[in-house]
Amino acid sequence: MFGLTTLAANKLPLGNMLFVIISFLLLMLILKKVAYGPLTKVLDERADKISADIDGAELARQDAEKLAVQRQSELADTRQQATQVVAEAKASAQKQSDSLISTASDRATLINKQAQTDAEKLKEDAISNAKNDVAALSVAIASKLMQKELSLNDQQALIDAYISDLETK
Amino acid sequence: MDEPTAPFEFLGLTFDWGTILSTLLAMAIVVIVSILLTRRPTVRPGKRQNVIEYLLDFTNGIIGGQLKKQQARQFGLYAFTLFFFIVVSNEMGLLLQLQWTDGVTYIKSPTASPIVTMTLAIMSLTIAHSIGVKELGFKGYLKNMLFTPYAWMLPLNIIEQLANFLTLSLRLFSNIFAGEMVLTLVSTSLAWPGHLNGFWSVLSLPIEMLWQGFSLFIGGIQAYVFVILTGVFISQLSGND
Repeated sequence: MFGLTTLAANKLPLGNMLFVIISFLLLMLILKKVAYGPLTKVLDERADKISADIDGAELARQDAEKLAVQRQSELADTRQQATQVVAEAKASAQKQSDSLISTASDRATLINKQAQTDAEKLKEDAISNAKNDVAALSVAIASKLMQKELSLNDQQALIDAYISDLETK
Repeated sequence: MDEPTAPFEFLGLTFDWGTILSTLLAMAIVVIVSILLTRRPTVRPGKRQNVIEYLLDFTNGIIGGQLKKQQARQFGLYAFTLFFFIVVSNEMGLLLQLQWTDGVTYIKSPTASPIVTMTLAIMSLTIAHSIGVKELGFKGYLKNMLFTPYAWMLPLNIIEQLANFLTLSLRLFSNIFAGEMVLTLVSTSLAWPGHLNGFWSVLSLPIEMLWQGFSLFIGGIQAYVFVILTGVFISQLSGND
């Protein structure tokens, strides 16, 4: 047993210890350069990537949710707008048809009235014509009867009175 | 068991070829395996990278269980190197023991030498103590180490610190040394009765295989224990618990 006997012989193999320490430190340096450094870097990168990916997925999910909600509300808006447009169109069509109808009925009433007045006028004209004719006839008859020239103008008032008497009867 | 050694003096210090060559070989294996496994590391790991990543994860886990996160990161490299080196050292002697004609075993497990394990223990404890001073200040460090939990426990604490060093180094050494010694005994002594040499050699083979398997297991466990105890000492001395 090399080590312990030399220890007992008070001849510590310091050289060996020194050699082990120095070579171990060198080994650490080499391993850091060769394995530990690159591996730790890669492991850190992986951890970062995973955490970034998780964050990204969470963000994407939130975005998707937000979009879905937005789309939903937009859809509802659109639907409402469509309903409104249809309602407006209906209302305006109603209004238009109402106005058309009322114009038409106004026109009809007007035409009706016109026709009535025209007819009345015609009737009046006819009556007045007839009156005149009757007057002339009467005068002619009377003058024939009386053999006397009666002035139409003088008798006009009398004739009118008769006729209105007749009318009232 | 006084094996012959090949010591030499250099700058007034005693060196020993067996230890130096074994240590160098173990470290070479560590470096080569690391290089082979870590070529062009990628975020999406390949087969080889998975192996060394598992190893790194394992040592990080050992240290991470003992220390605060930032401290664990600081000692990741040390734990990784320590574990890798000790595992390779422990198992190397099971695979390969080279004895030269002069009777000196030049290649064996470096950790079968108490000097190497003591050196490793000194390194771990030096780191643990300096971290203690750095974290708590010199006064706080002494108080935490010697007067905790009660001032009257001072003698016990002093003994504990000494025992830490001895248990840390001698546990590793004795496990590996004894393992190799039994292995040598099985392969040589069982073949002792001269005329039945061939028969005994054949008989010794399964026993040797069994013992090698057990020693492989022991080697892994001891490396794990060494690293975890290093973590415990760092944690204790920097007043974590």
